[in-house]
Amino acid sequence: MSFSLDIKYAARLLFKKPLFTLLTVMIVAIGLGLTLYTYSLLNHLIFSPLTLNNQKPVIAIEAEFDYDNMRRPAADPIDLFRVKSELDLFDGFGIYSGGGTALISGSGKDSAARKFNSTFAQWNIFQFAGVQPILGRGLQPEDHFEGAEPVIVLGYKAWKSAFSADKDIIGTMIRVEAKATRVIGVMPEGFAFPAMAETWQPISYKNLAPTERQPIYGGVFAYARLKDGVNFKQLEKELANLNQKIVQTLPEVMKFRANSTGGYLKAYDYKKVYVLQHYPIFISMFVVVFLILLLACINISNLLLARVNERLKEIAIRIALGVPRARLLMQMLWESIFICGVGGFLALLIAGWGLELSNGVFEQMFAVNQQQPFWWQVSLDSEAIVVLILAILIMIVFTGLWPALRAMSGDFNAILRDGTRGAISKKSLRMNKVIVVTEVFLSCTVLVIATILLSTTYSAGQADYGVDTEQRLTAQIELPFKSYPVNRRSAMEAEQHKKRLDFFSNLKNKLEQLPNVNAVAFMRSLPGTGGGTKYVEIEGREAMTLTENPSWNIDMVAIDSWEALGIKLIAGRDFDYRDNSRRPTTSIISESLAKKYFPEGDAIGKRTRTVGIGYDLPWQTIVGIVSDVTHGSAMDVASAKNTAYVVQMGGMRRMTIAIHYLGSETMARKSLQDTISSIDGDVAAYHIQSYDALIGQPMILLSAVSKLFLFCGVMAVLLAASGIYAVSANSIIQRTQEIGVRRALGATDAKVMSLFMGQASAQLTLGLLIGLTLSFGAINIMTDTMIISHTSYAIGLIGMPLLVMFMVLLATYIPTRKIVLMEPSNALHHD
Amino acid sequence: MDTNNKKTEKRLLVEFKKIKKVFTTETVETRALDNINLTIEQGEYLSITGPSGCGKSTLLSLLGLLDTSSEGDYYLAGHQVANLSRDERAKIRNKEIGFIFQAFNLISDLTVAENIELPLSYRDDISKQERNTMVRESLKKVDMLHRENHFPSQLSGGQQQRVAIARAISGNPSIILADEPTGNLDSKNAQRIMALLDELHHEGATICMVTHDPRSATRAQRMIEVFDGKIVLDQSTDKLSAIAV
Repeated sequence: MSFSLDIKYAARLLFKKPLFTLLTVMIVAIGLGLTLYTYSLLNHLIFSPLTLNNQKPVIAIEAEFDYDNMRRPAADPIDLFRVKSELDLFDGFGIYSGGGTALISGSGKDSAARKFNSTFAQWNIFQFAGVQPILGRGLQPEDHFEGAEPVIVLGYKAWKSAFSADKDIIGTMIRVEAKATRVIGVMPEGFAFPAMAETWQPISYKNLAPTERQPIYGGVFAYARLKDGVNFKQLEKELANLNQKIVQTLPEVMKFRANSTGGYLKAYDYKKVYVLQHYPIFISMFVVVFLILLLACINISNLLLARVNERLKEIAIRIALGVPRARLLMQMLWESIFICGVGGFLALLIAGWGLELSNGVFEQMFAVNQQQPFWWQVSLDSEAIVVLILAILIMIVFTGLWPALRAMSGDFNAILRDGTRGAISKKSLRMNKVIVVTEVFLSCTVLVIATILLSTTYSAGQADYGVDTEQRLTAQIELPFKSYPVNRRSAMEAEQHKKRLDFFSNLKNKLEQLPNVNAVAFMRSLPGTGGGTKYVEIEGREAMTLTENPSWNIDMVAIDSWEALGIKLIAGRDFDYRDNSRRPTTSIISESLAKKYFPEGDAIGKRTRTVGIGYDLPWQTIVGIVSDVTHGSAMDVASAKNTAYVVQMGGMRRMTIAIHYLGSETMARKSLQDTISSIDGDVAAYHIQSYDALIGQPMILLSAVSKLFLFCGVMAVLLAASGIYAVSANSIIQRTQEIGVRRALGATDAKVMSLFMGQASAQLTLGLLIGLTLSFGAINIMTDTMIISHTSYAIGLIGMPLLVMFMVLLATYIPTRKIVLMEPSNALHHD
Repeated sequence: MDTNNKKTEKRLLVEFKKIKKVFTTETVETRALDNINLTIEQGEYLSITGPSGCGKSTLLSLLGLLDTSSEGDYYLAGHQVANLSRDERAKIRNKEIGFIFQAFNLISDLTVAENIELPLSYRDDISKQERNTMVRESLKKVDMLHRENHFPSQLSGGQQQRVAIARAISGNPSIILADEPTGNLDSKNAQRIMALLDELHHEGATICMVTHDPRSATRAQRMIEVFDGKIVLDQSTDKLSAIAV
């Protein structure tokens, strides 16, 4: 069979209508490009399992994600020890305590401490990952023993940046958290397992082989692989059973480990635990992009169908001339093959470009905190190319085969005999209705989700956090544990507290004496960060059960910190030296909290205390009220406007500083570094950034996603508008003869118009109902982690359906009116 | 239909005076009908013949108010209808004219009964109950009552055309306009449709039929031949038969 003539003919048709060709190619390119991009992104970040140098995926076993505070709680080592010993399911299991920092200084006393992401891990971590050190050795079981020499394995970056890639580093002693530690190995470049580790130290033996519960809030996480023949479902099931037993054995003071529904230990796909807080957004994004692809497919199909309708006479002639059915089908498919092929190639470029931009966003996101999981580097891989080819083939079938088959099922005898295609069949009529409804619900869903996300992220970006951020520099100040230990309930505790407090006070005083520093504040989490709530009892109003008590955010603050942040003291007094205590007995609350729980204006003097399983805190008297600020991102469900502040600097090893500086930020940074070094060279200041950058940091990903949604939203509007018009117009044009018949039988213009507008309204209602149901489902998932503003709801759930309604009714009115204005005789003989 | 009156008092139903219809494209002006003068009396059975493109279908479209003439006057039952508004023309089509098309033109997603009810539903003066009665009567006339709940796609071509005839007569129109009513049918079904039209005519219906088929044309009382947009022959079929003999 020679296809050259058919290909030539298809090319001629496409070149004959360049606008049509450009439009369809671009729709395919954007639809496929977005899909390929999202697939690659989510595949790298979530869906493709982390295997390291092994066939089997790595899984994470840890305490259930805490959505109230948006954090990964650690599990008690004894519980993970039970998981390992009682479930005979694992082919490799290890524990680590993550997310910490290691303040590393060189061997010289004068070298400044540098902060690196530290991991305390089980000795098998490198074997598990299948990666060995490039210098020295990895961890060994003996390294965990009590009294063993402190050792550290450096990551490539730490080795290179802190020790200038010194090849003789192995065996030398360095100071880690001000403690002399021997370097035993250097890992290869890029290795950061469990996720973003830059140094590895042996985890305490007490964690490896625990014999009793640890009365602390810390804990560990586990990595594991399953044995051959064991699947993830089986693990989940057995883990759930064991979890029930463990939860029952938790003593009262440890009940906090289980959540309110009895959940505690859970197995996750390893990569998923690092995106749980963003998971709903990623899934929404995937849904939106998939719907956009569907919209694109339907639109292309309709455009090609409309084109096929124009060619019915030609097709009828070909059939009359005896063309085999398969050949005719192929002739009609060529156009689709060309459009999808070129569109697919452009999609590859679009996706590649999008992934490059995403890598830039990740770099920006993690530039300060260096918390980028090592697999958060996205690119187009061979799997993505296979997906693209499959998608192109499916698109060719969807967009080409369907119109071709519909065209071939027409009454060609009628077309050849009298030039008309005859009345549209009942089946075609139904199919047209289904297409219109599909187009409406897809458009509605995409537009609602996209606009809600867009509006929410925009609102969060514009939110007023209640603090002055101009000319403010922020940083994390961390005291090395070796030099600033706190041994709870020991005789030394008060003295140790004082040492920490002295450091922070000293730093504040010294900084405030500098000419370029106006004021200094310390908080555990500055407004715009932190968040989360705890249950609090109000004296005299204690609830019978814990969860019936009010809950609000509680933060630690240093004395005289309001001015540096632009927070106003509204009533009562400020904290002073009397309030410095190991167990604070005074608090200052935010204005909104005072209004909500003390509406009579009698908050000052009232007493509250934090309650919960494991808490044993004294009553705290409210001594003052300050202006409202928001802790946490404005769109984060864990964010809080109701906050109570206490002074507890002595207990803190890590605090956030905010400096209100004069002059340049560079000078302020230098002043901070110099002042810290002058007090204690082992103390590190890191995550140094402007206040605006600090607040904006958690928004970077959302801002990038919102830009993607903006793009998706614009595309959705364009696709929806063009698609709805094309589908409606095409469907109405196919009913031209019917309109002619109705008018011949005496229907007035108004009757025909109202009939078609009524039918469109019915399809619109059905489409909107399905679309809004889907949208509600997606929004419901999104609200697990996001606060959606009222404006966003209004724009999404009212504005978008109205827009779709307008588009559908307009898309029905214009073509119907055009046909109605024809003479009935023309409509009856419409070709 | 008030057949008794129509049989006894023949009156002028249609009057075309110097009707012209011109189709204009960018380069060509086509005169489809040129100075047509035509009258049709109530109760007459008229056939219009002529070669393809002669203007017979255009003539039928103008008669049925499906199109407007370029020039001339059109009186239907004594009323000038050439310059009526679109809605007024629609009302006249609905009450006074019944159409039978070559391609049947039944609406596929309406049942047989609903198709017949369709023109009646455009009237405000007929109740639902009356409509049902009229639909059933029409179906009885064409012997299709047993198929009232079927969809057009479930019927043969002949049956579809009978339904189309039932739809055309359901509202008791003054005139039935049939455009090649047997064009899409085999000879047996064509015979049956022609017989049905004969029967309607005997009952007093005024019928104007466009046809290519000479045998069908001669079943009418009067035959008009159109050529190049002009009426070149207008004679009773009895006379034509006599000439042929």
